[in-house]
Amino acid sequence: MRAIFHLLPIAALTISVPAHATVYLTVEQAQALMFPGASLTPTFLTLTDAQVSAIENASSTSVRDRTLRAWRASTGGWFITDEVIGKHDYIPFAVAIDANGTVKGVEILEYREAYGGEVRNPQWLAQFTGKKNGDDIRDGESIRNISGATLSSKHLTDGLRRLLASYAVALANR
Amino acid sequence: MPSPSQTVERAKPLLGTRVAVRVNGLSAEAAHKAIDAAFAEIATVHALMSFHETASDVSRLNRQAHLEPVLVDERTYEVLRRAQIASAASDGIFDITVAPHLVSRTLLPQPKDASTPDGTADWRDIALLPGNRVFFGRPLWIDLGGIAKGYAVDRAAEILLAFAPSQIFVNAGGDLRVAGCEDERVLLDAGHDDRNALPTVDISNGSLASSNGRAHIDTRNGAGCSARRFVSVMAPSCTDADALTKIVMARGADSAPSLSRFGAWAVLYEEDSGWQKIAGSA
Repeated sequence: MRAIFHLLPIAALTISVPAHATVYLTVEQAQALMFPGASLTPTFLTLTDAQVSAIENASSTSVRDRTLRAWRASTGGWFITDEVIGKHDYIPFAVAIDANGTVKGVEILEYREAYGGEVRNPQWLAQFTGKKNGDDIRDGESIRNISGATLSSKHLTDGLRRLLASYAVALANR
Repeated sequence: MPSPSQTVERAKPLLGTRVAVRVNGLSAEAAHKAIDAAFAEIATVHALMSFHETASDVSRLNRQAHLEPVLVDERTYEVLRRAQIASAASDGIFDITVAPHLVSRTLLPQPKDASTPDGTADWRDIALLPGNRVFFGRPLWIDLGGIAKGYAVDRAAEILLAFAPSQIFVNAGGDLRVAGCEDERVLLDAGHDDRNALPTVDISNGSLASSNGRAHIDTRNGAGCSARRFVSVMAPSCTDADALTKIVMARGADSAPSLSRFGAWAVLYEEDSGWQKIAGSA
């Protein structure tokens, strides 16, 4: 193991340091990974009032967006995308449900990570604007890894429960 | 389509947090196969060591191990063995029998059908018998929440390395492991905002785990830690790094001898005194 601790002077940092966005998978990549060889047909629905209350009752979560972004897989099953509120931003994710209604897989599609509480403060963020190329930071490269207070995945598990209820209410019998 | 040297990174909600896995130097197909296998291993470790799931090894131990030796998966046995080493190295500051205190603080749910734990029981009442069997000398409840996440990261790293990538990175909610020739830069988010400097660690072929001062218990009297602290531990394995964060949290600079025994070192942040480095020659 080799490890070195630095306190990097903020004045030397590039603009992209305090927040980092990682795109893990595009929707198309996630579809290919979760339903290999299948063709997926978009079947987007707008949930009715009755469907929304049924989903909310079944999942003990609230439906924020009435659009259900679902694709039907030619090999059976459904691919659904949604997003949940994370620590700082929305987290888009995808769920694959097989023909029996069982979860085949969950993938987080994208994650925007931010550092500290001050990132919401425009003044604090402004000091990074236009700062370039410190000696300690490789030019144009952001710090993609953060270790700190453990992020709970409760919102993701709530979101998954909501999508399974949405599947049961709006997709299972289609 | 993809070049052989591309980076593939994916993330899933596992271990109650976001787990991200990245590999370099494999074809896309091999990379996804490796990442699938790593995620599957993490899910298995979670299922074996969850306090919440009644069928887990941990729940079976909490129900039965004080009555008769209980056979567990070799991975559970390995985590128990490593936990005992951490307990011995810290005179019981790290102690997986802390679970009743966490249950009484509602940080963990009441286990189903488990006997009332003996308030005087501690890690020394756990006997690791040959053949992956475990016996408790008194009724007690264990929780592996302070070490199993690090172990899951180590297992995932081993699975990935079997595919011979050039670089890997596994991050389970801030407990992470790096292998390969390149450094990874990790920002330490102590939950405070320093307007002058960002705390970072550049690490290669090692692990880093972090912890902050809430929800940590001093097991000798069940009292919580008094100081608001943030700790990051650098160690060769994430299992040890994860366990050692609890020791540094409780002991501060006095944890230096414990850290050295694992080839580890730490940085500690306190609001009054700022950052300090503990142990290690790095």
